[in-house]
Amino acid sequence: MIFNSVTYLLFLAIVVVLYWHMPRRPRLWMIFLGSLTFYGFWRVEFLPVMLVSTLVDYWAARAIDASALPGRRKLYLGISLGINLGLLFYFKYLIFFADNASGLLRLFGFDVPPPAFSIILPLGISFYTFQTVSYTVDVYRGFVRPEKDFILYGCFVTFFPQLVAGPILRSREVIPQLDQRPRFQLEDLSIGIRRVLCGFFLKVVLADNLAPLVDSGFDQSVASLSALDVWTLAFLFGFQIYFDFSGYSHIAVGCARMMGIRFPENFDFPYLASSPRDFWKRWHISLSSWIRDYLYLPLAGERVQDRSSGGLEAAVDTAPARPRRSTRALFESWAIMGLWHGANWTFVLWGVYHATLVYVYRLTAPRFDGLPRWLQSAGGFAITLPLAMLGWIPFRAESLGVTMRMFAKLFVPSEYLWLGMRENNYLVAALVMASMALAWTVRQTALPRLEQHPLALAFARTATFSAMIALIFIFLRPINQFIYFQF
Amino acid sequence: MAVETRPPPALRRHRFDHALEFASILLGTALAFLVLESAFGDAQQNFEELALGAETRSLYAQVDGRPIHCRDMTDVAACLEGHAQRGGGPAVVWLGNSQLHAVNQLQPGQENAAPLLFRRLGERGLDLLAFSQPNANLQEHLVLFAYLQPRLPMRALILPLVFDDLREIGVRASLTGAFEDPRVHALLERHAVGRSILARQGQQGAGDMAALYQTVQEHSELALNDWLEEHSALWALRPQARGALFSNLYILRNSLLGITAQSKRSMIPGRMQLNLDAARAILVEAKRAGIPVLAYVVPLRNDVATPYIEGEYARFKQQMEELVTGEGGHFANLEQLVPAELWGQKRSTNLEEGQELDFMHFQAGGHALLAAAVGDLLDPILDGASR
Repeated sequence: MIFNSVTYLLFLAIVVVLYWHMPRRPRLWMIFLGSLTFYGFWRVEFLPVMLVSTLVDYWAARAIDASALPGRRKLYLGISLGINLGLLFYFKYLIFFADNASGLLRLFGFDVPPPAFSIILPLGISFYTFQTVSYTVDVYRGFVRPEKDFILYGCFVTFFPQLVAGPILRSREVIPQLDQRPRFQLEDLSIGIRRVLCGFFLKVVLADNLAPLVDSGFDQSVASLSALDVWTLAFLFGFQIYFDFSGYSHIAVGCARMMGIRFPENFDFPYLASSPRDFWKRWHISLSSWIRDYLYLPLAGERVQDRSSGGLEAAVDTAPARPRRSTRALFESWAIMGLWHGANWTFVLWGVYHATLVYVYRLTAPRFDGLPRWLQSAGGFAITLPLAMLGWIPFRAESLGVTMRMFAKLFVPSEYLWLGMRENNYLVAALVMASMALAWTVRQTALPRLEQHPLALAFARTATFSAMIALIFIFLRPINQFIYFQF
Repeated sequence: MAVETRPPPALRRHRFDHALEFASILLGTALAFLVLESAFGDAQQNFEELALGAETRSLYAQVDGRPIHCRDMTDVAACLEGHAQRGGGPAVVWLGNSQLHAVNQLQPGQENAAPLLFRRLGERGLDLLAFSQPNANLQEHLVLFAYLQPRLPMRALILPLVFDDLREIGVRASLTGAFEDPRVHALLERHAVGRSILARQGQQGAGDMAALYQTVQEHSELALNDWLEEHSALWALRPQARGALFSNLYILRNSLLGITAQSKRSMIPGRMQLNLDAARAILVEAKRAGIPVLAYVVPLRNDVATPYIEGEYARFKQQMEELVTGEGGHFANLEQLVPAELWGQKRSTNLEEGQELDFMHFQAGGHALLAAAVGDLLDPILDGASR
């Protein structure tokens, strides 16, 4: 089920009302079956894939916990990882692998055409696979005890607000909240509704209206784009994906909060980051935290953590204990994170590009320690923002070739002397940038002052809610999926 | 005896804040619907035609109660039925933008070019069907041509070349019904530009429900939307409300940036290339089917400085002539056809009240000149085709 639809709003209203009126056991069943219904509204035939993944990890975690023999524990973990990652490989990477194998063989003179597969990627498989894998690994590591109640565990994996695009949760964070419903508080409901409204606004009003501008730009041939167009497209897509994905996360966090369940935050004004490291503490925090705990830190040989917050943080310490191993781990884990997004070399390039930014930051940051703090922040922001935005070019471009041709434009001075898109594109990019800066400024300065005057705050909120609700009403339609649904 | 305890002040304040926030949400919702009702309660305007202004009217001619001039896939069936009703004989197809259907300062009883040419062709035993959409681009013409070509015994195709519209790309939602026909796919697949249209269409899916295409939710969403449209006038008016909102933004932009009808607008190379590729595809496919094409540069207001950059406009005409003649079509330049007195003005498209020059739409006299000129150009082509 897609969030930006009337069907979902109706579904959410029914689930929330039932949630607050049902005793524990029926409530858990209601969440589990409701979540399966939510998923089945996309394609029923992929429900078994998700259930297999859920069942395998339920069994493997219990088997690991029950076994005292290290070899047995490893075996059960291996089975769980094998099945989960095998499913992910089949649905997401088989065609990519076959195409690349065929291309490689052609290089050596063997003309073997890739087999024709017809595989549909099950919605959210990358997200729920990472979530179930983290559960089994955490049980293996001894961070959590396995959940005995299958329905409660099933609720953790399939809980509809986060099922298809995160945040990627840890069992420790959610299972206890699902198990014991908190007391109903108006606070949860009002915060939940506010977050849902905010998410809908970001998705249906902003992201969906930026999409045609971005699509028409990327549809043009590279030859018809100037360097300024490449920059503009990078910024426009950067805004679109941010509004789209943070909109999804707001809705997910808000829906859970309406049921008194708290999710960790997934975004924190990432485009105001003052360094690449800071960016990864603010962008898709639950994924970068997952990558940190289950890839980077093990690869770097450092102590692992167990929380879905914090993002990159320690992972890019400017003075790592084992610099060479840590650098290799950084590039490996970020390349894998890129590939997690999609079976295309463009995503790998995106991951490596960001790893390079982090690496360069790690090398150069100590040289600027003597500068005033404000200058470090302002300078860091001025450098990080355009670099982070440029990173979206490989993420959105059709192929590596297109990416390289777009990047090449940036280094040709004459490509800065003409424009190749409609004037509105430049105008909208500038407006959105200015609006984001304004939103941040209001949050930092005006909001704290308003909070001292409850009635003034209520007035401002009423005006804001009314504008948001009116615009959501006008633009609410399932015209575009969330971008991260394809991952 | 039970002791009544009061929560600490900070907690009371906290609860009060959230109660106030919840009240703000409720009040905001009520306010939103009040604003929507007062702003869009009677919105019925066709916002695609906003640029026409109040002084310009659209005409879609009918013959014996059947249209001979249609808009897009929403009424194409009526045009085809009309053609069948009139005997289903050989037909000339005229594609175009709003210049073809809009008449500036329309007086009662006046007509646009399509019915005039229809009657003239009728004397030769030929039928005419015209199709036009505001700001139609050549990619859209290609899609419509691909749809009509297997359905009509097409004797000739008339293709206006509008410099303005080469800034537009993509296929509007009201034409996407054409993609359901595998013959349209087959024709488009033969050309790079056609494949890019199909790829784009594949990403877009169909209209407002694109993201739900072929899912279970598509059924529930359609049912709920139908129910809401039936029971809420405001819900049914949402497309118009979106149109009104964008129109107001467009007017605001023009006002803030001082954009008028006479502001110079430069060609967008990538978009122009896609349209040139679409024109070539039309010409190639028409040649393959033995359909002669008359492509003409449309009449342009010539008593004042045009909104075009002269060098770009000159290059466009030259490129088009080379393209059309190179692919075996017939090229004509009708830019000087309509004299100054047959053009008009339209309501300003910025916040300043008043009129501005209309560079695209002329009066009924201009339509008569256009129909006559196109008829004259067609005569030798049709004579050649029939020989």
